[in-house]
Amino acid sequence: MDAAEVEFLAEKELVTIIPNFSLDKIYLIGGDLGPFNPGLPVEVPLWLAINLKQRQKCRLLPPEWMDIEKLEKMRDHERKEETFTPMPSPYYMELTKLLLNHASDNIPKADEIRTLVKDMWDTRIAKLRVSADSFVRQQEAHAKLDNLTLMEINTSGTFLTQALNHMYKLRTNLQPLESTQSQDF
Amino acid sequence: MFVSDFRKEFYEVVQSQRVLLFVASDVDALCACKILQALFQCDHVQYTLVPVSGWQELETAFLEHKEQFHYFILINCGANVDLLDILQPDEDTIFFVCDTHRPVNVINVYNDTQVLFVLCPQTLCTFYCHRPKLTSSNREIVEQTMRRRQRREWEARRRDILFDYEQYEYHGTSSAMVMFELAWMLSKDLNDMLWWAIVGLTDQWVQDKITQMKYVTDVGVLQRHVSRHNHRNEDEENTLSVDCTRISFEYDLRLVLYQHWSLHDSLCNTSYTAARFKLWSVHGQKRLQEFLADMGLPLKQVKQKFQAMDISLKENLREMIEESANKFGMKDMRVQTFSIHFGFKHKFLASDVVFATMSLMESPEKDGSGTDHFIQALDSLSRSNLDKLYHGLELAKKQLRATQQTIASCLCTNLVISQGPFLYCSLMEGTPDVMLFSRPASLSLLSKHLLKSFVCSTKNRRCKLLPLVMAAPLSVEHGTVTVVGIPPETDMSVLGRGKAAESTSSRMLHNHFDLSVIELKAEDRSKFLDALISLLS
Repeated sequence: MDAAEVEFLAEKELVTIIPNFSLDKIYLIGGDLGPFNPGLPVEVPLWLAINLKQRQKCRLLPPEWMDIEKLEKMRDHERKEETFTPMPSPYYMELTKLLLNHASDNIPKADEIRTLVKDMWDTRIAKLRVSADSFVRQQEAHAKLDNLTLMEINTSGTFLTQALNHMYKLRTNLQPLESTQSQDF
Repeated sequence: MFVSDFRKEFYEVVQSQRVLLFVASDVDALCACKILQALFQCDHVQYTLVPVSGWQELETAFLEHKEQFHYFILINCGANVDLLDILQPDEDTIFFVCDTHRPVNVINVYNDTQVLFVLCPQTLCTFYCHRPKLTSSNREIVEQTMRRRQRREWEARRRDILFDYEQYEYHGTSSAMVMFELAWMLSKDLNDMLWWAIVGLTDQWVQDKITQMKYVTDVGVLQRHVSRHNHRNEDEENTLSVDCTRISFEYDLRLVLYQHWSLHDSLCNTSYTAARFKLWSVHGQKRLQEFLADMGLPLKQVKQKFQAMDISLKENLREMIEESANKFGMKDMRVQTFSIHFGFKHKFLASDVVFATMSLMESPEKDGSGTDHFIQALDSLSRSNLDKLYHGLELAKKQLRATQQTIASCLCTNLVISQGPFLYCSLMEGTPDVMLFSRPASLSLLSKHLLKSFVCSTKNRRCKLLPLVMAAPLSVEHGTVTVVGIPPETDMSVLGRGKAAESTSSRMLHNHFDLSVIELKAEDRSKFLDALISLLS
């Protein structure tokens, strides 16, 4: 999968906005949206929220988990644990990036939030690398990874599977004599 | 007709249609265009942008597009001549004109349907007072002769009033500020748009198009908007991200580009200081060194790039320079202005951006079509194109240096001659950097600075009251020159139309939107000057 495809899937997440226009309920294939009344918060998918913000028709509210203390606690928890801890949202990285790029004036202390989320991401990717390394070294057959988000899987996934394929080919080519002898008719 | 409600009568009409934008080639028009473009993008309005630098281009573009569009918006062009006469549009075409040129042509104003002016409401009052009243009377034979006499008197009075009204040219509120008001009414105003409005106003001040009083009033208006948008910077709890634009009000030095140049270069190339110190003479250079010594700034530090100067020297720089400048007779060293800040590195004063954009637009390099420069200058105003802005700053430095060198050479070789009612100066073709001055804005700026320097250099009291006429070669193949008329320092009015040229039937072209700039064939120069002398004396 492409990183852009993962971001596209992330844009379906719901965020809260405060519109400054009014519109009746709209019925789309994916679900209903609205009604929009100026000054009243409403939940919409991220793609619509970003579009409305760019056209200056709404104000974005940060999601609940995008708060300095909560993120600090999560980051410290992540650093202490050996395995992966649950993340506030299955698309936390994409949400952070999109919201902070387009609406950083609506989110207080945007710079610290960006740093905290990046810290969490770095810790998790480091853990992923360590576990992939031990997986390959000990030639284990399967590994269990809880609480990984799709973006993290996608970052390391393609390379890991292709590398394992290569190694399998190399390994099987090392033992040609034994394999011909053990054939049964 | 004047539009009283911007939103209903202008924006909502235009919102659902395809419009054509004619934008003149000056920085104020660029800023107004940027604001309007941002509003159009919010509402998905289809528009076509056509940059024009003169009446000929406007007419050709209009003829090309008049079949496809019914609504035209003209920015900084079209107020001071009879639009319908020049363009000959169809019955249902509507023009919205947002122009700073005054006086507004009378025929345009009294056209109720086709020409609508999008202007600041203050201009309305002063205009309506000029309309003379026609008294009504009964239909008796005795009264008829009275009526005829009254009518003749009325017509004579009307002619006088119109002559007074159209005699001098001046400028009104910046178009960028008018567009920002529109955005504010629609509640779509952003910090970025506010910055463009500030740049538009500063452009008017840099080119001396408005009086100091008007500039200060408009700065006050904009300052209210600035504090409304930027008050969150002082709040510790909810500080904004570093990437967000921040605009702040500054009472900063008048030195051109000083934060992007060295202090010494900036002092030498700002016309205010160069004229007061008389830097074209050896005596002037010595005075400059005295000035620097008085402040205790070592020459080596001052000649270094400003950002590399010692922090201890930079701390109280503004106050030190103001104090020393007062001692040397320069009272207005500091001026009220605004600065913008984003990221960790980028800080610009409004005048820096004005000079950068102006140089980009008027750079003499011939690449591609004539609109390339316009588009480049337009792009440099967005935050994402900072490399163009820096390129513009470099070009501006070259332009300023060339201006000062030309002024110095003109004064040293006594090229400014008094022709009786005015002063005259002409740049020869072989002068270095003369191609930089073929465009009207650069030439106007050069002429204004030359006049100020000349006034400082002579002891002749009378020179302070004389206007200056300046000529520079425009195109070698056609043998044309651009001629610019600049008013004297004390009086804001400008020479009216070049009636002299018409009377001598010299081949001239009144191409620019500013009525004080014309193009002339080189051979007809002397005829034109003679006629101008006789007209003004």
